Amino acid sequence: MLRNAFRLHRWGLIGYGVVLFVSTYIQAAAFMQVAGTTAASRAAFARSMTTLAGQLSYILPQPFRLDTLDGYVQWRAYGPLALVVMIWAIAAAADAARGDEDKQLVDYWLAARVSRARLVASRLAAFGLASLVAAVLGGLGYVAGAARYESVSLGPVAGKTLSLWLFVLTLFALCFLVAQLIGSIRGAQAAGAGVVVVLYLLDVLGRTNHSFDGLSWLSPFKWYDATTVLAPGGNLDGAGIALSVAAIAVAGVLSALAFARRDVRGTPFALPHREVAAKDVAPSPLLAWPVARLLYRQRWIVAVWALITAAMAVYMVAIAHSVVDSAINLPGMREFLTHSSGGDPYRGFIAAFWFGIAQLLLAGFAVHLVSGWAADDTEGILTSVLSMPVHRWAVIGERAATALVGTVVVVAVGSLTAAAMAAAVGTTLDAAAVFRASWLLIPFALTYAAVGAAASADFPRAAVGVLGVLAFLSFLVYELAPLLNWPAWAANLSVQQLYGTPFLTGVFWNGLWAMVAVVVVGFGVATLLMQRREVGQ
Amino acid sequence: MNEAIRTEGLTKDYGAGRGLFDLDLTVRAGEVFGYLGPNGAGKTTTIRQLMGLAYPTRGRASVFGLDCHRQAVEVKRHVGYVPGEPPQFGGLRGREVIAYLGAMAGGVDEAHVKSLCDRLQLDLSRRYREYSSGNKKKLLLVIAFMHRPQLLVLDEPTSGLDPLNQQEFYAMVREARQGGATVFLSSHVLSEVEHVCDRVGIIRTGRLVNISSLEELHEIRLHRVELEFAGDVPVEAIRRADGVDGVTVENHRVHCVVRGSFEPLMAAVARAHVVNLSSHEPSLEDTFLEYYSDSGKEEVAAAC
Repeated sequence: MLRNAFRLHRWGLIGYGVVLFVSTYIQAAAFMQVAGTTAASRAAFARSMTTLAGQLSYILPQPFRLDTLDGYVQWRAYGPLALVVMIWAIAAAADAARGDEDKQLVDYWLAARVSRARLVASRLAAFGLASLVAAVLGGLGYVAGAARYESVSLGPVAGKTLSLWLFVLTLFALCFLVAQLIGSIRGAQAAGAGVVVVLYLLDVLGRTNHSFDGLSWLSPFKWYDATTVLAPGGNLDGAGIALSVAAIAVAGVLSALAFARRDVRGTPFALPHREVAAKDVAPSPLLAWPVARLLYRQRWIVAVWALITAAMAVYMVAIAHSVVDSAINLPGMREFLTHSSGGDPYRGFIAAFWFGIAQLLLAGFAVHLVSGWAADDTEGILTSVLSMPVHRWAVIGERAATALVGTVVVVAVGSLTAAAMAAAVGTTLDAAAVFRASWLLIPFALTYAAVGAAASADFPRAAVGVLGVLAFLSFLVYELAPLLNWPAWAANLSVQQLYGTPFLTGVFWNGLWAMVAVVVVGFGVATLLMQRREVGQ
Repeated sequence: MNEAIRTEGLTKDYGAGRGLFDLDLTVRAGEVFGYLGPNGAGKTTTIRQLMGLAYPTRGRASVFGLDCHRQAVEVKRHVGYVPGEPPQFGGLRGREVIAYLGAMAGGVDEAHVKSLCDRLQLDLSRRYREYSSGNKKKLLLVIAFMHRPQLLVLDEPTSGLDPLNQQEFYAMVREARQGGATVFLSSHVLSEVEHVCDRVGIIRTGRLVNISSLEELHEIRLHRVELEFAGDVPVEAIRRADGVDGVTVENHRVHCVVRGSFEPLMAAVARAHVVNLSSHEPSLEDTFLEYYSDSGKEEVAAAC
C-alpha cells in the first residue's frame, strides 16, 4: 500500500526535488557575486538587503545574518521555496484524497481489505517520504553550491531541511483534511488553496506588523520561518517543530475520522437534499465559430491568468518606489538600476522585475493552455471533434489561434495595468518601450505554446511535463549562463534570453526570429504529428 | 451507392496477436448490421478505422465509396458516431456540447434535437459532469442522430442505458432504417442485436468468423436452463429433444443447454409437472466456445 501510494508521488518528487536542488544551489553559488568577497562589502550588502527585505516581507520572511552565505541562502532560497512547495502540497493532497477516488483506486484498495485508517496513514506516509527526499535534495543543492567557497557544517543544513520537510508535510496534512470535506478534486484544490492562502496571510500579518505576531503563530508558515538554524546564531525553533508535528498528527487523525464517516466520493456532512433546477440558458454563440469555440472553453484559463498578471503588475509597480529607494544604496544595484535605464532607477526596476515576472506568468499561462489541449485528448473530446467533419490541421490551427488571442489578452491586461499603476504612483514610463516589451511577450508565450502543441499532438499525457521541464530548463540556463560564464549560444537556448531586455535595450532581433522560428516549426510539427497519429486509444 | 461500408483485407496489427486481421466486410445501404463479439475481439478497432481515428496496417475501408483514411472528413459528413467510451466534457452543459459539436457538423436542427431529447428523457440544461453514465450515453446518441446521417456507427450504444431507454433506442434505429439510413451497431450481447439487426457479423480474436442472418443467429444462441419438477423427471425425453445438450439431473432438478428454439424442450416436458423454470443467456464468449467447440471448428477455419 505504501509503495503504491509513494509511486503516485514520483513525478512530484522528481519535479520538486530538482527545483529545490537547483534553487538552493543557484543562490549559494551566486552569493559571492552579489555580496562581494570582503567583510565590508558583505556588511554593506546585508544592510541594504535588510532594508530591501522590509519591502518584500509580503513574499519573503524577515532576513537574518545576510552578511553570511548561510543567512543569505536561508532568506533568498529557503524563503521563496515555501511558496513553491505549498503548491505541491495543495495539489498532492487534493489528488491523494479526491483524485484517487475519481480514478477509482480507493474502491480497489478498500475492496482489497485495506482499512480506511490505513489508507489515510499510507497516503500521509507516502507524501512524507517523497517530501523528505525532496527536502534533502534541497539541502544537497545548498551544500553543492556553498562548497565552491567554503566548508559547510551539515548540522544546520539538516535542521533547515527538517524544518522545510515538516512545513510541506503540515500543509499536505491540512489540505488532505480539507479535501475530506469537499466532494470534488477541483473543489478540494480550491478549498485547500484558500486555507493555505489564509494561513500565509496570517504569517504575513505578523511579518509586517508585530502586534499580530501572536496570531501569526497559528500559521505553519510562521513555524517554518521561526527556524533560522542555517544562519550563524540562528536556532532550531522547538515550538515550531512541535506545532508542525502536532498539526500533522491531528490533521491525520481527523482525516481518518472524516474518511471513516463519509462515502467514497462523498462528504462527511450531507447537506439537506433539495432539488435544484438547472439553468436552461441558450448556449453561447461563440461555440458556433472556429477559434472562438476553443477560446470559450478555455476562457477561465485566460481570465485567471489575466487577473493574476494584473494583480502582479499592480504589486510590482506599487512597490517600485519603496524597493528602489531601499536598494539604491547598494552599489551593484544602483549601477544595475540606473546605468541600464538611462539614469532612471524606477524605470530600471520595472524593466528588470515586472517584465521578468511577466515572462514567468506567460510561461505558466502557456503551460496551462497546453494542459487543456492535452486533456481534450486524454478525456475523449478530441475523438468527438474528429468524429465530426473537421480537418486535423484545423484542430492545430485552432489551438494556435487560441494561444495567440489568449496571449494578447493576458499581455494587454498586464501591460495596461502596469502602465496605469505607474502613472498612479507618479512613475513616468516610456510608452514605446512598454509597448515594445509587451508585444515581444507574445512570441515569447507562443514559443512555449508551440512546443506544447507539438508535444500534445503526439504525447498528450507527457505534454505538460515536457513543457514544464522546458520552462524550468529555460529559467535554469538564463540564471546559470552568466553565473558560470557560458557561451552566448548556450545562453540563447533559454527562451528568456531570446526575449532579451526590450524595455531597456530594444528588440533583440535574433532572439525574436529564433522565437518566431520555434513557433512556426512547433505548430508545423504539431500539424504533421496530428495528421499521422491515431486518436482515442 | 448500394454499399454503405466496404472493407478489404482490413488489418490493424498491434502485435502479439492483438488487433484486427484481414477483415472483408460489406454492409449494404439501408440495412442494420450488427457487429457482435466479446470484449477485446476487435469491434472498436474496426470502428475507429471506419471513422478515420486509426489507420490500417494494411487493407482499406470505405464508406459510401469514400476512403476512410484519405477522405476522412468527407466520410464524416455522412456519419453519426457513438464512441464506446464517453468523452468528458466537464462543466459544459448538455446544450453547449450539442452546440459545440453541432456547429462542426454544419448546424443543429433544434426541433429534431428537442424531439430526440424528449424521447430519451434527457435534460440538456445539466452540466455534463452531473450526468450519470446513462445520461452521457443518451447525449452521445442525440449527437449521433441529430443530423439525420446516412450512416450511424454505434459502438456499444446501449451500455449504460436502462431497459426503457434501450427500447426507445431500438425504435430510433428502426425509424432511421425506415428513413433510408444504414446502421452499423457493435455489441457483445446476442439478444440485443436480435432486436434490431438484419444481419450480424461475428468477430472473435480479431477475425470475422461468420456473417449470419437472424435465423442463423438463432442457431448460435444458447441458453442455460434449469427446470424443477414436482414429480418424475422426463429425463429421456429431454435428452432426445432437438437442440438440447449437457443434460444433468439432480434430484428433481434438470440443468441443460438449449441451442436455438425452446419448442423441442417445451414439448419434451409438456406432460410433466414443472414447478420452476429459469433460463439465462451465457456470455458471448461462452456461447462461442460452446458453439465452436466441436463441429464449428472447421467452419471457423473456413471462415478465416
